[in-house]
Amino acid sequence: MLELSDEELCKRIAARDADAFEVMVDRHQSRAYRLASSILGNEADARDVSQDAFIRLYESAGRFDGRARFSTWFYRILVNLCIDHQRKNRWWRRLAPLAGPGGDDPDVRAVDPPSEEAGPEAEAMLTQSISRLRPALDKLSPQQRAAVLLQTQEGFSSREIGEVLKCSENTARVHLHRGIAQLRKLLQND
Amino acid sequence: MAAIHPETELIPYLRGELSADARARVAAHLQGCADCRASLDASAAILSSLARVVEDVRDPDWNAYRADLQRKLRAREAGSASLRGRWRWRREDIRLPVFGWPSMALGTAAVAVLAIALMFHRGAGTPPAPGVDQLELQQELSSTDVGLLANYHVVEHLDLLENYDVIEHLDELAPGNRPNNATSSS
Repeated sequence: MLELSDEELCKRIAARDADAFEVMVDRHQSRAYRLASSILGNEADARDVSQDAFIRLYESAGRFDGRARFSTWFYRILVNLCIDHQRKNRWWRRLAPLAGPGGDDPDVRAVDPPSEEAGPEAEAMLTQSISRLRPALDKLSPQQRAAVLLQTQEGFSSREIGEVLKCSENTARVHLHRGIAQLRKLLQND
Repeated sequence: MAAIHPETELIPYLRGELSADARARVAAHLQGCADCRASLDASAAILSSLARVVEDVRDPDWNAYRADLQRKLRAREAGSASLRGRWRWRREDIRLPVFGWPSMALGTAAVAVLAIALMFHRGAGTPPAPGVDQLELQQELSSTDVGLLANYHVVEHLDLLENYDVIEHLDELAPGNRPNNATSSS
């Protein structure tokens, strides 16, 4: 079972194979939770939404037609749930600002080491604290945030991001560009 | 000439997603554009920092996570099963009074009433069957028609109509309009 591909597992889940579902969750839970946490900026929400994504996977595995990669299909479910969740809770989030990446933990690393290839502006950027990047990320549109995080966390290409967000590759590139440009602007103004 | 900055291609350029042509074009632009070079460096830095944001996400207690997921899944399945059961109960609830014997009797009566009404309606719409007097009248009218026809000159000289083609094209028989092949065609 462990050596089966995601696509094979998905077929078995469609036939209500509980063991296949367990293997699939085991394989993707960490990445799904991390992506949800990065998009939502909240651990409790990330837990709920990523679990919901697995439940959707269990219920709709039969609809996976194999045309796209399984990860693209699954992350489309997850990202859509995250975006929906953000929309529903936007008013509440304005009243309760998000915690930083480490929550209330003051020992969270504050500074990124500069990269060897970075230019002057990039070096300045790299000295920005992660605790400032997290709230800046939260100010992006849901699509921009998802595009940026799918690229940095999952290593998705622009085409794959387009498949997850149900838009063209060019539109995905625009989301990425605008997201990164917005982050630069927010960090510079901070 | 205003330069077109390949802004949306910078990140794909960094990630090696561009085709060879696009990559060469962006590289050539970067050589001559300090703004785009700065933008490229800054984008690389932001992407690197974002990777660290993700790394900083703390794992939950996975055992509790999985137990919670199983509980939610069971609740969802139980919920959908009870919904199906409730729906079935409602259908049965409705089926008894509607499809019981009294309903069948009422339905049969309604169909009978409808059939009788339809028969009467059809009867009103069709003309009455001809009686003896009407048949005599029709025969009289037919004979009168034949008598009238006898008075027509055309009918009296039906033999003239035998060559109908000639009559139809009488105008063409005029000396000036006579076609060369008229004789051969007739």
